[in-house]
Amino acid sequence: MAAGISRRKFLVGAAAGATIVAIAYWRLRPVERGAPAAAPTPTTQAPPAYGDWRDVYRERWAWDRIVKSTHFVNCWYQSHCAWNVYVKDGVVWREEQVAAYPQVRDDVPDFNPRGCQKGACFSERMYDPARLRYPMKRAGERGSGKWQRISWEEALTGIADSVLDTITKEGSDRVVWDLGPLYTMGTFGAAHQRFSFLLDCTSLDMNTEIGDGHRGVGETFGKIVFERSADDYFFSDLILIWGGNPIATQIPNAHFLLEARYKGAQIVTIAPDLSPSSIHADLWVPVKPGCDAALGLSMANVILGEKLYDAAFLREQTDLPLLVREDTRRYLRSSDLREGGSEEELYLHDPKRGIVPVPKKELRLGDLEPSLEGRFEVGLADGRKVAVRPVFELLRERVAAYAPEQATAQCGTPPEMIRSLARRIAKAKSACTVTTSNFGKYYHGNLTERAMALVLALGGQYGKKGSGFVGFPFLVQDGLEKTTFQSFDLPDRLKILASMLPKRLELQLEGYTEEMLVYERSRNMYQSGMATSGALFWYVHGGLLKASEKLEEWDPYLKRPVKDVLAESFEKGWQHVWPKPGNDPRVLFVYGSNPLRRIRCYPLLLENLWPKLNTIVTLDWRMTSTGQFSDYVLPVSAWYERTEHKWVTPLMPFIHAGEKATTYYEAKSDWEIISLLAQAVHRRAGERGITGFTDRFGKSRQFGDLYDRFSQHGEFGPTDDEKVARTLLENASNLEGVSWDELKKTGFARFTSVGSSIVSIGNATTIEPNDTITPLTKHVIEKEPYPTLSRRMQFYLDQDLYLEMDEALPIHKDPPIAGGNYPLMLTGGHTRWSIHSAWRDDALMLQQQRGVPVMYMSIEDAGARGITDGETVKVFNDLASFQVMAKTTPAVRPGQLILYHAWENFQFAGGKGFQNLIPSPLNPVELAGGQFHLRPMSICMQPSHTDRDTRVEVARA
Amino acid sequence: MSKRQVAMVFDLNKCLGCQTCTIACKRLWTREEGMDYMWWATVNTQPGRGTPRDWEQSGGGFKDGVAQAGKLPTRQDFGDAWKFNHEEVFFEGKGQSAHLQVVGEQPEWGPNWDEDQGAGEYPNAYYFYLPRICNHCTHPACLEACPRKAIVKREEDGIVLIDEDRCRGYRFCMEACPYKKIYFNHVKKVSQKCIFCFPRVEQGVAPACARMCPGRVRFVGYKDDQNGPIWKLVEKYKVAIPLHPEFGTEPNVFYVPPVAPPRYDAEGNIDESKPRIPDEYLVSLFGPKVLDALAILKAEMAKTRAGGKSEMLDVLIAYQWKSMFGGLDRDPATIEWTKS
Repeated sequence: MAAGISRRKFLVGAAAGATIVAIAYWRLRPVERGAPAAAPTPTTQAPPAYGDWRDVYRERWAWDRIVKSTHFVNCWYQSHCAWNVYVKDGVVWREEQVAAYPQVRDDVPDFNPRGCQKGACFSERMYDPARLRYPMKRAGERGSGKWQRISWEEALTGIADSVLDTITKEGSDRVVWDLGPLYTMGTFGAAHQRFSFLLDCTSLDMNTEIGDGHRGVGETFGKIVFERSADDYFFSDLILIWGGNPIATQIPNAHFLLEARYKGAQIVTIAPDLSPSSIHADLWVPVKPGCDAALGLSMANVILGEKLYDAAFLREQTDLPLLVREDTRRYLRSSDLREGGSEEELYLHDPKRGIVPVPKKELRLGDLEPSLEGRFEVGLADGRKVAVRPVFELLRERVAAYAPEQATAQCGTPPEMIRSLARRIAKAKSACTVTTSNFGKYYHGNLTERAMALVLALGGQYGKKGSGFVGFPFLVQDGLEKTTFQSFDLPDRLKILASMLPKRLELQLEGYTEEMLVYERSRNMYQSGMATSGALFWYVHGGLLKASEKLEEWDPYLKRPVKDVLAESFEKGWQHVWPKPGNDPRVLFVYGSNPLRRIRCYPLLLENLWPKLNTIVTLDWRMTSTGQFSDYVLPVSAWYERTEHKWVTPLMPFIHAGEKATTYYEAKSDWEIISLLAQAVHRRAGERGITGFTDRFGKSRQFGDLYDRFSQHGEFGPTDDEKVARTLLENASNLEGVSWDELKKTGFARFTSVGSSIVSIGNATTIEPNDTITPLTKHVIEKEPYPTLSRRMQFYLDQDLYLEMDEALPIHKDPPIAGGNYPLMLTGGHTRWSIHSAWRDDALMLQQQRGVPVMYMSIEDAGARGITDGETVKVFNDLASFQVMAKTTPAVRPGQLILYHAWENFQFAGGKGFQNLIPSPLNPVELAGGQFHLRPMSICMQPSHTDRDTRVEVARA
Repeated sequence: MSKRQVAMVFDLNKCLGCQTCTIACKRLWTREEGMDYMWWATVNTQPGRGTPRDWEQSGGGFKDGVAQAGKLPTRQDFGDAWKFNHEEVFFEGKGQSAHLQVVGEQPEWGPNWDEDQGAGEYPNAYYFYLPRICNHCTHPACLEACPRKAIVKREEDGIVLIDEDRCRGYRFCMEACPYKKIYFNHVKKVSQKCIFCFPRVEQGVAPACARMCPGRVRFVGYKDDQNGPIWKLVEKYKVAIPLHPEFGTEPNVFYVPPVAPPRYDAEGNIDESKPRIPDEYLVSLFGPKVLDALAILKAEMAKTRAGGKSEMLDVLIAYQWKSMFGGLDRDPATIEWTKS
């Protein structure tokens, strides 16, 4: 049986046990809901011979054909994995990893096989009862569960009419897109961008809202995107798993960590609980939840006190030598020294040359040796003399309050442990952190991230292989912007170019790097409202601000009501939101997202936002908590039913692609759905005699050529997904030599550079074909300035709100008691069992849990309340309550509760999801703006939502 | 004795508890009615009651060569198969009055019920993940117990199979197996268990649980292949040992024992006087040899920590993933089934 076994031989006849395959097919074949199950289609082949029972198994493994695919969902840190999808009789039968990634270096393990249990059962999930099969319109109240099946044409016509009504009568910005984890930046990105540009809709930028904003990273580095490749850990000798749980949430990457441990790296996990990522560590350091900043600042205290810091690194790469005025606590600026001086020119002191401007065009210091210590007098433009000191000195004063013996009370880590960790970080050859999007979910998470970035900087731990604190991982083919731009007619394109070029040249002369220019463009686009802060949208239009009203009782550091800060921020233009406050949103497109599950304190949305909305459309492949409360649900093709490619992260620097393996009922790809919607708007405008509308900037636009422009004059029709995918790839600069035809055969291809996308350029590194990827080398090795006000890693922030809140330098603040004065802290984390909510209600995944949501609770806290393992408990605070099963364990820190991510509301009794009591108070410092790198842009420096500080009590239900 | 024996080594220091092995097996082999409650591959958090519930205390196997009586695990002990009420929740007009749950009686046990719970006292709690399949024992208690002689141990590779044509569902094998890795198919009325993916092995492809394991935990190969990972880890380096050797069946799945982080004293300082996972507990699972294996592993880890090299750890690292499969490394996508 060299190349194969005879299929006939293994097909099953009528012998005993032979119905197995038939049963299997019968169960898998999509069946009309409510209709009796159909028998399998009879095969025309002659009944095969049945050898013995073993042939049943041999046949079960066999397949008709293999299609490459992946799961086009936002797995983020663990995205993506190339899968072979095995198809039998037109039905997806199972999947198995392609596992053909090349070994990048001989001395580094390869990426194979990748994948996880969720991916390995999507072939089951895609046929389960949560799937949407055809367009439906609600037939009762929102949320009633009463549905009417309608045709695509009816659905699109109804939705198009609502869009037209809103755009023409109230304003196009009131048509809002909420984009979720299905957003690919591939064919869907192309469709959505065209539609939104042409109809001037608003899209919610949800990155900070979901708590992935990495604000502390943005405050320090001027950007949030930078991460290593997972195999780069192999060069670390100290890996700090700090703010993450990669063993459970980066399943395909985790082996690199554990293999690095075998190679000699020490793994230290810093976490409140004995998490799955703690059990494989060489050291687990318990810390109080939300108090990591105190630990970080205490380590800084030790490193400074014992003079273990890398002074040369600090002088060149950080703002620590920069001078700050003692009187105003602000940086010394050129505008202080002379009339008309710049607000963005800062100073340092050199022993030979005195007080001189900070070099802005590169980090190289030449013959300068900036003072880290000292107090200097300087004459201001108005003749006064003031004292200035380097940030380093202020930092030393700040961390003086965090001697290990003092900090231990704040962070719960013993003093000797703090000392020993600090020394290890300072002395390691190459120390790095595994820090995921955890701290952004804490109210004071930015302070923690700043403290962590600081500790690694003091040790000079950046830019070397296997070193560094990390930001947010993101790596995308950069063809989308170009493709959307190409879809504009030539005169429009020329107009845009003409308006942009002079400014670009001016900034280049000022020393702006390519990265800074990209961010300026991002800020301009953000300002125009194409994307707006999701967090502010829900706070303002969704009524979430109500839940922050008690913040004065919860946050002892607060100086004034947060709504006053919000008003100031809007007035000064630091932050803004579309639609403008008072302009109620009318149409909400929920694309692969799930705001009623996702948004903390979601009942406020139902109360405040839902009544304002005329039309709510959910586009998804499955029913969701939000779909239940929508007016229309439209079935989108699931992942093996589409031709697409998708972004990844540097952790796994291969683009992934897939081809349509099968179809499902009336589900359509999102490219097709949005194409048809554009057609429907076009058609209905004509039928209703509506010629055009005025966009939010007062410009008039026409409906007459809407679909022509959408389709690029017929170039890209509704079913041209593959052509769109191909074009995106052709327009990408960072996948040199990768052709679509090859990609769809292999399923993956390695990126050749980080490219120019807003969400990738921050990696600031090169991608070599035969090496691992280390971020920030452009800054650390090539000396390119950071995109911050100071052009350095910036630990001192002198914007008004930071000074008001005493956060100019990182500080530890106790977490607020969000939700009221209750003894237990309800925290969470991503789950091993689902990617967001996509697998939360999957039967196989639930069977490997307890079938219902669980909350991990310490044995001590459970015992004190008479609660036993497996019992249903009531969790409550000032806002609301919910019921959940308690799971008791000594691995959880007393005082902490852990409820992992993304249970659907419909999995809780009464539909009361656990997020209903999470108030997510708005942290006023996040309303800052105005200063160079504190201005909002795509995916960062916008306010966020938080959940980890929620206080509750638990009782037997 | 079979002429050759395939075997696996599971490295517990690399196991993520992710259950990809469990699902890989489920999707390939046990999806039909009658098999829906079966999980031939399982991973449990230890200490814990495991799958089936309390299997370690369920008897079977041999003592001094004499077969021991064992309990017959029930469907409930295995965790049964749960059906959910999606349609009712989504489409039947019940609004928020219906929420998603198991149809019928609510379960009190499942195959991974005690995930991440462990034992000890905070901060000195401890746990680790223990993946299990049929051990394809050299001295299989199931085979001896079967009055139908329906259980065979293959000559060519030592895989233990239940002949489903001969099996009459008496279930003596389920009682006899001390690892409780045999299930009863209540539709076909036969006993079923892990088949070591023999159709794949026949084609030179590693079993699905091993090949699909993203943690790269599972080494596969023939025990006598001195170039393969099994011989090296079991015989040469003696770092992999069987589970419950006292059961007397001579299992052919071996484990690299877990090295946990240190524990803390009452002041919160590191306490090196005893390990986080008590030795007694590891010995209760793997027998006294586990302490030797741990010492060997720790010594090698100390070597690389000091900047040295370790051939043994290089095997466990598996720089090339395919090196884990002892020659059973064929890419299944290269197989073409003939249709006629």
